[in-house]
Amino acid sequence: MGKGGMSHGGGEGQDGEGEENMAAWLLAVKTLRIQPFILPPLGPHDVKVQMKAVGICGSDVHHFKNMRCANFVVKKPMVIGHECAGIIEEVGSEVKFLAKGDRVALEPGISCGRCTLCKDGRYNLCPEMKCFGSPPTNGSLANQVVHPASLCFKLPDNVSLEEGAMCEPLSVGVHACRRANVSPETKVLIMGAGPIGLVTMLAARAFGAPKIVIVDIDDRRLSFAKDLGADEIIRVSTNIQDVGDEVVKIGNAMGAGVDVSFDCVGFNKTMSTALNATRPGGKVCLVGLGQSEMTVPLTPAAAREVDVVGIFRYRNTWPLCIEFLRTGKIDVKPLITHRFRFTQEEVEKAFETSARGGDAIKVMFNL
Amino acid sequence: MGKGGMSHGGGAEGKDGEEENMAAWLVSINTLKIQPFKLPPLGPHDVRVRMKAVGICGSDVHYLKTLRCADFIVKEPMVIGHECAGIIEEVGSEVKSLVPGDRVALEPGISCWRCNLCKEGRYNLCPEMKFFATPPVHGSLANQVVHPADLCFKLPDNVSLEEGAMCEPLSVGVHACRRSNIGPETNVLVMGAGPIGLVTMLAARAFGAPRIVVVDVDDHRLSVAKELGADEIIKVSTNIQDVAEEVEQIRKAMGAGVDVSFDCAGFNKTMSTALSATYAGGKVCLVGMGHSEMTVPLTPAAAREVDVIGIFRYKNTWPLCLEFLRSGKIDVKPLITHRFGFSQKEVEEAFETSARGGNAIKVMFNL
Repeated sequence: MGKGGMSHGGGEGQDGEGEENMAAWLLAVKTLRIQPFILPPLGPHDVKVQMKAVGICGSDVHHFKNMRCANFVVKKPMVIGHECAGIIEEVGSEVKFLAKGDRVALEPGISCGRCTLCKDGRYNLCPEMKCFGSPPTNGSLANQVVHPASLCFKLPDNVSLEEGAMCEPLSVGVHACRRANVSPETKVLIMGAGPIGLVTMLAARAFGAPKIVIVDIDDRRLSFAKDLGADEIIRVSTNIQDVGDEVVKIGNAMGAGVDVSFDCVGFNKTMSTALNATRPGGKVCLVGLGQSEMTVPLTPAAAREVDVVGIFRYRNTWPLCIEFLRTGKIDVKPLITHRFRFTQEEVEKAFETSARGGDAIKVMFNL
Repeated sequence: MGKGGMSHGGGAEGKDGEEENMAAWLVSINTLKIQPFKLPPLGPHDVRVRMKAVGICGSDVHYLKTLRCADFIVKEPMVIGHECAGIIEEVGSEVKSLVPGDRVALEPGISCWRCNLCKEGRYNLCPEMKFFATPPVHGSLANQVVHPADLCFKLPDNVSLEEGAMCEPLSVGVHACRRSNIGPETNVLVMGAGPIGLVTMLAARAFGAPRIVVVDVDDHRLSVAKELGADEIIKVSTNIQDVAEEVEQIRKAMGAGVDVSFDCAGFNKTMSTALSATYAGGKVCLVGMGHSEMTVPLTPAAAREVDVIGIFRYKNTWPLCLEFLRSGKIDVKPLITHRFGFSQKEVEEAFETSARGGNAIKVMFNL
């Protein structure tokens, strides 16, 4: 059921029909090229999706800049991108719940369904996981992709394709809130007001968190977080000596104990602050990609039974994300700050914009 | 209710005209002195207990050597000791469930029962906790102590007073097993075969762990662990470069994934090994007192959803410990390696023995 391959040169596409399927290929460090992308054959449980909206993730940028991300190494050209939504073009013979023309959001990762982790429901940890844009699996910044129907989720009429693509980063926030048991009784601290911090904040609110304090080093991102509903924002430094001071400020801003801290940045300083700021019996959630080795005050935290909860991607989150978007409990539209089309020049510009950070929160392709 | 005070001068009559109550006081660094210990008045819900068996804990040794342990500092003379059992001498007016002559094991810590943590049942985290031999609260290495009746647990007939005193360290292991959900499906790794590693191993077995691997740097302690029922023992080094190799050895010895790792040593190396060795979705439990700041590969572990669970003392563990001892599911007697009487000379010798470590696992006073 593969994920397609590169075809060289122009000419006709797979079925001899219409135009050739093109995709944005990562060829080498900082080198993206729009080139043909041969789709695999459509299996009985697959669908073919015309991509309409694809967002850029920090991991995409990391792959772009370094040809690797954590333990994932890009060893051969790979199509980039994984936050996506589109329109069904064709359905496989056994597909019952989707039809041509359906608007769907895609969950990127195909797990094996056979290992213990999958069977336990923790399929996000499947060792055989094939995920769009994680080498060696080709991504979805393309005209079309082939994907299992079970990982394509129909969008309600009032949810746009761009919002559908936003389900992917939002899923990280939702999964984090679930693992940390965010509820109407959990006061939440969020380290970092970047895309992940923001979706985590939106998810926490949707899960009922009564008070959310968000911290960052960047004033613009902080005021953006305030607009999106943070109760309090605090500007912090990159200086590890400031942890003690900042923990006090956070305590004052929260007005009570911090029940759950989400470290959406992942540096010694942010983890140390989170560990110290969280009340006894609380949780610190490490969300997204952080530094590999960290020097942190783990023992004092453990001695207050502050647990460290790990987050890797998400599982079973699309239906909930879509419901949050349908009801308006979550509004992700403000996070989409920059839009580009699918041309060589704009793809390059889009990645530069996303890599820049700052006022660029989510960069979205409209195909 | 208090915890009694020092009375000066020798001989003469004690409170009721009977013998004066003596205790082992920590008066300064490395200086223990048996001196009179005035008991507080017996409240309506208290009992007076004649101490019969008191064990020495690593924290007691730490206080002796440094007058501090983590954030707790000994600022004035304090009675040492907290692992204890004895015989009821007198009961307060409202005490219904105990009578003089009852053999009881004592849970050391008196929590406030008013704060949110207490009301949630997480009373071990109570900020107002008054705990035997955690400054400024006096300990229980004394002829007699006064204690709340609800923290004194009747020993079954076939459980000795020494075993009663062992309930305290055993409780740490039991609490750790509960927080990490040990059951018939959890393969367990225990880092460190000292007293805490050993009680954790015994508790894990009692909770049904099918396979237990214990690692340590000391051959003798490893052989004790094997005799006590470890499935496999591995000698490891103190060299952080050896982590990867040791993780391999551990995996082979386990023959399957490590579901839960208990770090009962608390060094960078042991935490790093535990984090790396634990299977995706598993837990690492930091038990007992470790180093304050640790440099560990936290992110790769979090990215496999390996959670870090903190353990601070215990809660609601005495009934279960006593049941395990009564039924023989746990046998703590082999852990008691050295015994001493309650005299100035023997108290000093006992602490030297305990501080030495090595073949001294649990040093017990018989009063």
